Amino acid sequence: MHTARIAAGAALALSLAALASGAAATPPDAAAAARGHKAFDRYCVSCHGVAGDGRGPTADFIDPRPRVLTSGIFKFRSTPSGDLPTDADLLKTITNGLHTTYMPRWSAATEREREDLVQYVKSLSPRFTTDPQGKPITIPPPPAVTPQLVQQGKQVWDKVQCAACHGDGGQGDGASASGLHDDWGYPIRPHDFTRGPLKVGDAPEDLYRAFMTGLNGTPMPSFADSISADEAWALVFYVRTLRKSD
Amino acid sequence: MMRSLRWSLALLLAVIAARAEAFPAFARKYGMSCSACHVAWPIFNQVGQNFRDNGYQFGLGKDDPISLSGDYVPISLRTTAAYQYTRVTNQTSDAGPITVQTGGVPIPPGVDILTGGLIARDISYLVVVTGFSPSDNASFMESAWVRLDNLGGSGWFNLRIGKFELDQPASSHRNVTLTYGYAAYGAHPAGSLVQFDMGENQVGLELDGHDARSTTRYSLSLTSANGGEGLSGNGWSSPMLYGHVQKSFELPSLVVPWVRVGALGAVGWWPTAFAQDSSSGGPQPIPGTGRNHKNFYRGGAELSWLMGYPSTPLFWTVAYLYGKENAGLAGDGSAANSFNGGFAEVDWVPFSESSYDATPWMFFGRYDLVRFQHGPGDTDGGTIGARRYLALGPRASAAIHVEGHVDKVKGVGWTDGSAPPRDVQTQAFMAGIDFDF
Repeated sequence: MHTARIAAGAALALSLAALASGAAATPPDAAAAARGHKAFDRYCVSCHGVAGDGRGPTADFIDPRPRVLTSGIFKFRSTPSGDLPTDADLLKTITNGLHTTYMPRWSAATEREREDLVQYVKSLSPRFTTDPQGKPITIPPPPAVTPQLVQQGKQVWDKVQCAACHGDGGQGDGASASGLHDDWGYPIRPHDFTRGPLKVGDAPEDLYRAFMTGLNGTPMPSFADSISADEAWALVFYVRTLRKSD
Repeated sequence: MMRSLRWSLALLLAVIAARAEAFPAFARKYGMSCSACHVAWPIFNQVGQNFRDNGYQFGLGKDDPISLSGDYVPISLRTTAAYQYTRVTNQTSDAGPITVQTGGVPIPPGVDILTGGLIARDISYLVVVTGFSPSDNASFMESAWVRLDNLGGSGWFNLRIGKFELDQPASSHRNVTLTYGYAAYGAHPAGSLVQFDMGENQVGLELDGHDARSTTRYSLSLTSANGGEGLSGNGWSSPMLYGHVQKSFELPSLVVPWVRVGALGAVGWWPTAFAQDSSSGGPQPIPGTGRNHKNFYRGGAELSWLMGYPSTPLFWTVAYLYGKENAGLAGDGSAANSFNGGFAEVDWVPFSESSYDATPWMFFGRYDLVRFQHGPGDTDGGTIGARRYLALGPRASAAIHVEGHVDKVKGVGWTDGSAPPRDVQTQAFMAGIDFDF
């Protein structure tokens, strides 16, 4: 409950900040959302629940738990920490699914259904009617990978204390790992970098994006304010050296 | 007499063989509702088709057994406990033409036991044992295959070996009707030696492939045509080559948002002469000595489309099938014969208020037609029904199923020898509970 109140407070603060900045919200398209409701009932309710509150009948058996869509808090975005995702971010997650989770890829569903689902998902959270959706961060081209770059990445790893959660070897077994919880109070494990792709993808850009946007609703922060773009790329290529299997 | 009996037997088998495959173990594995993969259980939607095409994989690291909890059991069970009534006219008896009627609840009803999924990444399998009812009088292996998926890392190349269902315009094992199957799939000219039924599972090899979303699909099969396994005296009994392609399109329309076209073709070789064994009475053909093969052919085209929103559609399928069997396959030296046939089917899944069973109703109807170039057997049939889903969740499914069927087959009934055989009309009705766990 305490963390939920913190999340609600943070969302309110972000809403007020958005109002102060003058940016406009982009509410869901009502007609598309109404259609997407049907697709949601067909494809999504068993995990995300009829109300989109992440409490579908199978939610208790799924690890990680399904997203609480009513919160307006989304882990996988191209937008800065705390911001709402873009429509393209939501569509990407629906289309591609999330690796090593029970969120399957819905790419075989029609494009119209997936686009309508985006609008319906937006309609589940009041944040989309009050807050502007974020703008995607800029991802500069990756530098050439050199031993020096990887070494620099190790220094960044130490600087931002990745090992505290992810462990010295990146196996997700850091000193803090066992006590981590998400914004809804559920236990959450740091990613094991030795075992393959991130949930959202396997490209270097996916790692870069995660480092610089953070994962909303989880203890994984954004490092956009504490490391440079060059340092982020160095960290990306260091982390990729930790992988031991696919 | 024999011809009449044969038609009666065929009709009876149609009733028995119409059970379909559906696999709630997959719903349990992934925590997803049946409706995620089925227009309405058991008919696939595009997501379900793609999942099957991918070798029962979503490809996100949660497919193979090693990534699962050890207490997952990949076994499903399906049965239909129902009252069934059948009335068939113009059957032969000592007293002349009679109408036969049967009705009741088969106890125990037939049961399908299914296991399938992944042995390891990109190695999938399915085994279905069916039967167990008094009318089946036995259990048998309906499906048993293993498939090497994504050969060379490409979805375009998958190799299946075993007993499997041919890729068809509409699946005989995932169709919604439970009384009678697709008439054109099993059509043959009168007296044909060929037992091939496109709707029955075949034994052999299949190479198949698809694009990432299964919008373009193909399959090529080399099988022993069913009923001909072990007959021919050569390296591959009663061989048959079968091919099927499908291409689907999404349209910028809310009226017809999705269309799929397809085509199929098959050529088979069936033995017409055998070495004989008379040591135990009359001459009996010896399996494994079949020779003097004659050809039979199938060709066809299909059009499927959705009307209305794809999640809650009217799903239409119209299929045309041409069949030809060469002279000699009738066993009496009669000329080659051919037929034109097909079916038109519609399945409607209306939307209701949001719930875990958001698609509780399904209404369906189908018209079957077969016309032979000459001889008896022209068929017209209609089937309508409704399903009220009691459960369509992520663990199991159950539906109240009510269905009626009527058909007329020309010239296959009673005759006194002085007039052409009469037409046979069949009426069937069933009502019961179809459930799947």
